[in-house]
Amino acid sequence: MKRFGWAVLAGAVLFGGPALAQDDEAARAARWSDLAKEIFGGKPLQSGDAKIALEAPERAFDAALVPVSISVQNPADVKSIYLVIDGNPAPVAAHVTFGPAGDPKSLKLRVRVDQYTNMHAVEETKDGALYETHRFVKASGGCSAPSGSYAAAALADIGQMKLRVLDGPQAVNAREVQLLIRHPNFNGMQRDPQTQGFTPARFLKSVDISLNGENLLHLDSDISLAADPAITFSVPAQGKGKLVVTARDSDNAVFEHSFDLGEGRS
Amino acid sequence: MQSLNAPFPFRFFIASALACTLLAGFARAEVPEPQGFFMGPLHDDVPATLSGARVVHPQELASLLEQGNAVLIDAASFPRKPENLPPEAIWKPAPHENIPGSIWIPGIGEGDIDKNIEAYFRERLSALTGSAFDHPLVFYCHPHCRASWNAAKRAIGYGYSNVIWFPEGAEGWRDAGHSLAAAEPEMPSRPSH
Repeated sequence: MKRFGWAVLAGAVLFGGPALAQDDEAARAARWSDLAKEIFGGKPLQSGDAKIALEAPERAFDAALVPVSISVQNPADVKSIYLVIDGNPAPVAAHVTFGPAGDPKSLKLRVRVDQYTNMHAVEETKDGALYETHRFVKASGGCSAPSGSYAAAALADIGQMKLRVLDGPQAVNAREVQLLIRHPNFNGMQRDPQTQGFTPARFLKSVDISLNGENLLHLDSDISLAADPAITFSVPAQGKGKLVVTARDSDNAVFEHSFDLGEGRS
Repeated sequence: MQSLNAPFPFRFFIASALACTLLAGFARAEVPEPQGFFMGPLHDDVPATLSGARVVHPQELASLLEQGNAVLIDAASFPRKPENLPPEAIWKPAPHENIPGSIWIPGIGEGDIDKNIEAYFRERLSALTGSAFDHPLVFYCHPHCRASWNAAKRAIGYGYSNVIWFPEGAEGWRDAGHSLAAAEPEMPSRPSH
């Protein structure tokens, strides 16, 4: 009896782990294949290991605020970037299309993660090819997590924006700029701590950014962006002038701000 | 290309590692058991205990399940589709996975439970236990999920005397090296109003 117990234990240790990992892997691959078909209409995706990189914490402390960073090897070839969170009920977290004033070099977002999931970053090139890379993230509950600071009264400053220039000493060819938009991005799955009822969804649907009247980027998103969306993107190092941001939300509210993008640090 | 990106994320990770250490300390500071049920958001810190129930962790749950007769109940909720999602947005909840052999009844952990769901819940408990109030009942959902705590407390209120709560939830079960299986929810046939 005792010996049998040990044999079972040894079996579990030797075979249980890898077999389970394979099951999980197979389920995740099936989910991605389903999603990819729906998002990209059956167009083939190629491995993007040499093209696009995706950074995210392996285990996120706050599932409602998971930082994600995407960078591409050949910015000049890139038309758009998709961020897909496979396990979220609305998996396409963001689709960013770059305009002539844009630089797809790097893109950072903060997202909600509902369950342990693969995340995919997909690069769409100007000639229509698709390259994907992915990463497994352990986080759960980000979609129903309460939006702490958002009582109805706190909506007073909805749509306010801030722009931070993050350039460091390496900023020779481009600099990074972080746009912060005050918006609860309610996803309809959160409860109001006071009334206990579900807070109706209200989320950013699109953000357009232009530099001196020229399109820099267009972002489509819905309920997977974290509250107070933060979008970090690159602008050419010599890029200065008027940066105009127009954000639209699901209540058809339009928020517009313009910033004076000076030279170097601001 | 990488060098440009390096400093910011690096700084961020240091900051977040620090935040994790600090906040992990806070999380361990007891969440007291509420008088009644947890109302409002269900994804939040949970108490270490549930009066009237036994709290088990993965190892104890594994040996409990080996004995074979415990009823496993998953109290996880079902994702709600926002009505105003743009028509072109893809809504496709991932298949729900839980501990094999579980009964999944969404809604039984709500602070203010729907009457139809409550009636269904009582009926199912009675059927699953053969009306034996001392039959072992295990409740779980996800980590940091109060739905299973509420549901277990409800079962105690109905008179069940062998209620077990597994706070680590489905993810904790998987992290302990066990497998999960795709599951379909059970719900009352008549929709609630």
